[in-house]
Amino acid sequence: MASSIYSLVYYSRNYIASDETTFAANVDQILAKSRLNNQRDEITGALLFNAGCFAQVLEGPLDTVEAAFERIQQDERHGDVSLLALNPIEHRSFPNWAMGFIGTSKIHAERFADIGSSSGFDPSRLTGDEINSLLRELAIEEEAA
Amino acid sequence: MNAVTSFLHKTEADPSSMPSYEKILELLPRPVIFVGSDGIVLYANPSTEVLLGTVIGRDVHELFPGFMSGLISMPGALSSVLVSWNEVAFEAAFAALGNGRFLIDLRPSLQASITSMPSDMDDLTGLAKRNALLSHLSCALSVKAPSSFVAIHCLDLDRFKMVNDMLGHAVGDLLLQKVANRLTSACRKGDIVARLGGDEFVVLQNDVNDEAAAETLASRIVDLVGRTYVINGHTINIGASVGVALSSAGIQARDLLRNGDLALYEAKRAGRGRYRTFESGMDALLLNRREMEIDLRRALALKQFKLHYQPFLDVTTNKVDGFEALLRWEHPKKGNIPPLSFIPLAEENGLIVKIGEWVIRAACMEALSWPEDMVVAVNVSPLQFKSDTLLETVAAALERSGLPAHRLEIEITEGALLDDTEKVVQTLNALRNLGVKISMDDFGTGYSSLSYLQKFPFNKIKIDRSFVAGHSTDSEAILRSIASLGRSLGMAITAEGVETAEQLARIRGERCTHVQGYLTGRPMSTHQIPDFLRQNDLQTEKL
Ligand SMILES: Cc1cc2nc3c(=O)[nH]c(=O)nc-3n(C[C@H](O)[C@H](O)[C@H](O)COP(=O)(O)O)c2cc1C
Repeated sequence: MASSIYSLVYYSRNYIASDETTFAANVDQILAKSRLNNQRDEITGALLFNAGCFAQVLEGPLDTVEAAFERIQQDERHGDVSLLALNPIEHRSFPNWAMGFIGTSKIHAERFADIGSSSGFDPSRLTGDEINSLLRELAIEEEAA
Repeated sequence: MNAVTSFLHKTEADPSSMPSYEKILELLPRPVIFVGSDGIVLYANPSTEVLLGTVIGRDVHELFPGFMSGLISMPGALSSVLVSWNEVAFEAAFAALGNGRFLIDLRPSLQASITSMPSDMDDLTGLAKRNALLSHLSCALSVKAPSSFVAIHCLDLDRFKMVNDMLGHAVGDLLLQKVANRLTSACRKGDIVARLGGDEFVVLQNDVNDEAAAETLASRIVDLVGRTYVINGHTINIGASVGVALSSAGIQARDLLRNGDLALYEAKRAGRGRYRTFESGMDALLLNRREMEIDLRRALALKQFKLHYQPFLDVTTNKVDGFEALLRWEHPKKGNIPPLSFIPLAEENGLIVKIGEWVIRAACMEALSWPEDMVVAVNVSPLQFKSDTLLETVAAALERSGLPAHRLEIEITEGALLDDTEKVVQTLNALRNLGVKISMDDFGTGYSSLSYLQKFPFNKIKIDRSFVAGHSTDSEAILRSIASLGRSLGMAITAEGVETAEQLARIRGERCTHVQGYLTGRPMSTHQIPDFLRQNDLQTEKL
């Protein structure tokens, strides 16, 4: 059997202090670590954040995705992690992103000014598929920006 | 005091015949290390350096990565194995020197390789086992600084058995490993995580400043262990209940563990997925419950249970249709114990199944002597439904007493329908096939009462007393809707807890078919029934 690729989608509550420098430093650290680990683990995906929550798609071999998710679960920087989907997939949605980050480019800075408030964007109302396509859409815009 | 400590305690030596004690320590061919309360090595003899390199000023945890999570035993106890950073195995003995300082006496161990530990280490998780935990705990209690505490966190996984049953032991084992890993990640370096077997874990938290610090860890454990797991593509959700206990002056390891267990018991009783901290009243509570449990077991054998019967009447004819059997416990010393004080306990320890069987048998026997076709209604606990013997019990009780099946009514609460509905419905159908009537008790108190009506054609719905007593227009509207809904489904409707004539009048207006309550008859013993019926008939004729 060809090693199949799985996609895992979750959202969680952001526990990082909301002052900008602490938050930026933490996100940078998470992304740097993620990109390093994910490259090693053949994981791709995207991470979206706002003041209230994180939403993330991880795609890759089941064992490394499970291991990454387990590490992420133990991370004190967030909590209330809700797993929305875990499915085998035919193709990766984020083939070029060891861990794409949505929220840095100018377009999104504006967009997030709005959805960045914890009330503006509420991933708990979205399904795994919806988050997946939302992140995908945002990722494409971000790449173009 | 062992040989080494006595060296340190003696300061004078006889210069003529003996070298100084310091010299002896220097000559001693095996390492002796003196550690300060902060875990930093303050003294080491030269042999130490040969085997371990420079150690003075280093953290003992660093020297022995397994320290605390390695194996420590109490002074006087058999020595245990410690493995150094450079993988030399030692038999280690400890001596507490007060104020959190201690001495380690190390003997290089020939046989004691790293693999000689398994007896004290859990193979599956690599955590300490009971004995190792106990010696760690004793050691921690004896070396701790007077101003700090040692805390014990006893934990139990909620729903672990279900995971094991549904996904198999292989997944269950992986889950235990992940739990072990999460627990370890929640702890600090000097803390110990142990697995006592099954899904029972204990965390030993060292250097705890106050209760709040212990509770912070406990709540972190509840949170962390309760987060979703993903294993072999399965999404698994379990919870953790935690009992916390803090050391008190002079407490022994076993007692501290027991306190943690008591607190765990309370956490589980309080609804699982939470922590509880030990309080001194808890042992008394448990003792009470234990006593009550012993009493309960005896009560059956000593025939201390009695049944009382409360009539239910047809609201249109005012005639008694039957009686609900109510359990009474006549304790020889404590007098009448109300069901609410012992049924929950009986449910907890499973005795309810035996008691429930007795109720069914006794009710059938007694009802046989009642006039006419009086029905006897018997409450059946959710646990009886799960016990697989209910059908048999009912069939046997009917056969032995000779009571026609249509005179027996089984009352179930929504609790019985909550889980495993399929199986419950099967049992209900089988009971119905015997000819027994089935009614739903306390209707309206659960979350999804209505959905159950669809699953099974009950003969009767008993509307909870709260809707009858309620004076609000809401409860009246609810009462009316339930009644008309039930009737349109062809079910009889009993209003429970009717106490006043005004309530009775209201019930009549709301399409209820039956009424039960103090107004229409208090619970009575079986021999009072013929008299009661005669009286009631007289009154009815007068109406
Ligand atoms: C919202 C969020 C997303 C994260 N995403 C990843 C990820 O995609 N990959 C990863 O390896 N770590 C991720 N982390 C970091 C992990 O929680 C953890 O810190 C890291 O994997 C530890 O790696 P290490 O064991 O190599 O030090 C994430 C953390 C947070 C809070």
